[in-house]
Amino acid sequence: MTSRLLSYVTLTLVLIFLLGPFVIIVAAALSGGETLAFPPQGLSLKWVMKVFEVESFRASFALSMFLAIFGTLAALVLGVPVAYAASRYRLPFGETIRTIVSAPIIVPGIIVGLALLRYLVIPLDVSVGVALFIAHTALILPYAVRVVSASLDNLRSDIEEAAVILGSSRVATFFRIVLPNIQSGILAAFILGFVTSFNQVPVSLFLSGPGVRTLPIDMIWYMEITYDPSVAALAALLAFLSISIVFLAERFLGFSRYV
Amino acid sequence: MRWSGGGQWVCPRTQHKVPTHVSESDGRTGAGVARGGLRGDRFSRSRGHPAFRGFRAEGSWTLASYAGFFESELNRTVFWRTLKLGAIVTAVSAVIGYATAYSIVTLPPTARGRMIGLVVMPLMISPVARTYAWIVILGRTGFVNETIVWLGLSDTPIRFLFTETAVFIGLLQLFLPLMILSLISALENMPKDAVPAARVLGANWLQVFVKVILPLTKEGLVIGGTLVFTGSLTAYITPAILGGSKVLMLETLLYQRVTVANDFASASIIAMILMVMSFSANLLLKRLATARNKR
Repeated sequence: MTSRLLSYVTLTLVLIFLLGPFVIIVAAALSGGETLAFPPQGLSLKWVMKVFEVESFRASFALSMFLAIFGTLAALVLGVPVAYAASRYRLPFGETIRTIVSAPIIVPGIIVGLALLRYLVIPLDVSVGVALFIAHTALILPYAVRVVSASLDNLRSDIEEAAVILGSSRVATFFRIVLPNIQSGILAAFILGFVTSFNQVPVSLFLSGPGVRTLPIDMIWYMEITYDPSVAALAALLAFLSISIVFLAERFLGFSRYV
Repeated sequence: MRWSGGGQWVCPRTQHKVPTHVSESDGRTGAGVARGGLRGDRFSRSRGHPAFRGFRAEGSWTLASYAGFFESELNRTVFWRTLKLGAIVTAVSAVIGYATAYSIVTLPPTARGRMIGLVVMPLMISPVARTYAWIVILGRTGFVNETIVWLGLSDTPIRFLFTETAVFIGLLQLFLPLMILSLISALENMPKDAVPAARVLGANWLQVFVKVILPLTKEGLVIGGTLVFTGSLTAYITPAILGGSKVLMLETLLYQRVTVANDFASASIIAMILMVMSFSANLLLKRLATARNKR
């Protein structure tokens, strides 16, 4: 009985530690005061409104959205064939290919950013935006490959063989048989990639220039110069956005099967 | 951190000089003054951005530069601090992780699923938002200080932000879920009767843990520990927001070396250190995974 009680106390304390900060953020976001303070002075939506008025937030939100959507799409265009080849064929250098594809997860993000800045942006005069796009695509690629591979492993290859035997070409089989069957895996990969890219900081750190900053980095800068609760409001909005995306994905896709 | 003498601190991001007495006693809780947040005109001089200047003027790269890197006291301090914080965060998260994971595993299935969901949830949220919450909580007019003053424990607010404690708390909150999840899957694979059997045979809880649970979940502990340790070593956001330039860690030092001093030699050395640690951790994980698949 005491051990039961002890475990409830442990769970409560750990959950307060893990989730309590969000309650505080939401409280701060709804504060009516001019500075961050707890307990908040009054209740208002003005800081939530202010988030939408800050020009740099709008620009960086647009950039982050662009990177998250198109970076993930590019990673899928590259990653789906890799996953397909790796699961259906015995490739020469298969292990090497797998290592290269998963490298962006292993190498700390800040180093990827630094390397791109030094060897791509500076000497070749590539624009920061392009470098950011490359970095985010590379970062998402491992996730895309892993999730799509998991989905392909569940797809029996004799369906494809049946289609080929019945006269379909290999390419047509891929588009008409394989792709429709791994749809939900691809969608899961997209969501995982989107969230990863959107929340990413270290990779983008060195790759910001005039007017080019991703939203999380913009938030860090903004919280250095001001001390009003608008960052709390933005943080709360982003937290709700991520949670609802993942919640919906879990609800409709059984997201956790793939991740 | 670059001290330009005369009690001045040069901001890593903006090269603004800030008298140190201001950053010692920042009137506000905010990251602003303490980290020299007077941003200045960073973006108006596009090619003049600190990171863009003087790239072609760097020196050659020999092993001697490693020795030189560790000659600097600041670099040594940062290196050991990073290892120390990583080790402490890993150890504490292991202790809390075992208690939490064991509590979760012994729950009935529905409740267990819900609890796992709640533990996973923070992982989906932007680390910037997660770290920012601690500014609200630990700041001068934050939740903790208001409570301390209200209880009469101290007349003046206590400084929590920009201390190792703040970075430790932030890192622990960031990485604890990874440890809990690794330990949950390890504990779930443990034979169900092992603990009751040991109890019936007269072992106390400490003996049960050391002689039964620990050996049977060793792998999960190593996996979780590696994730937490490398995560802490290569963290940028938490030390940047909660530690500022007072509590530099390897990644924040790297950023500073590049943007302030254009010191690519040091930056590359730090990058190498981070890569070596990250790769060896990954090799260890891979070896464990293949060892498990063989069984």
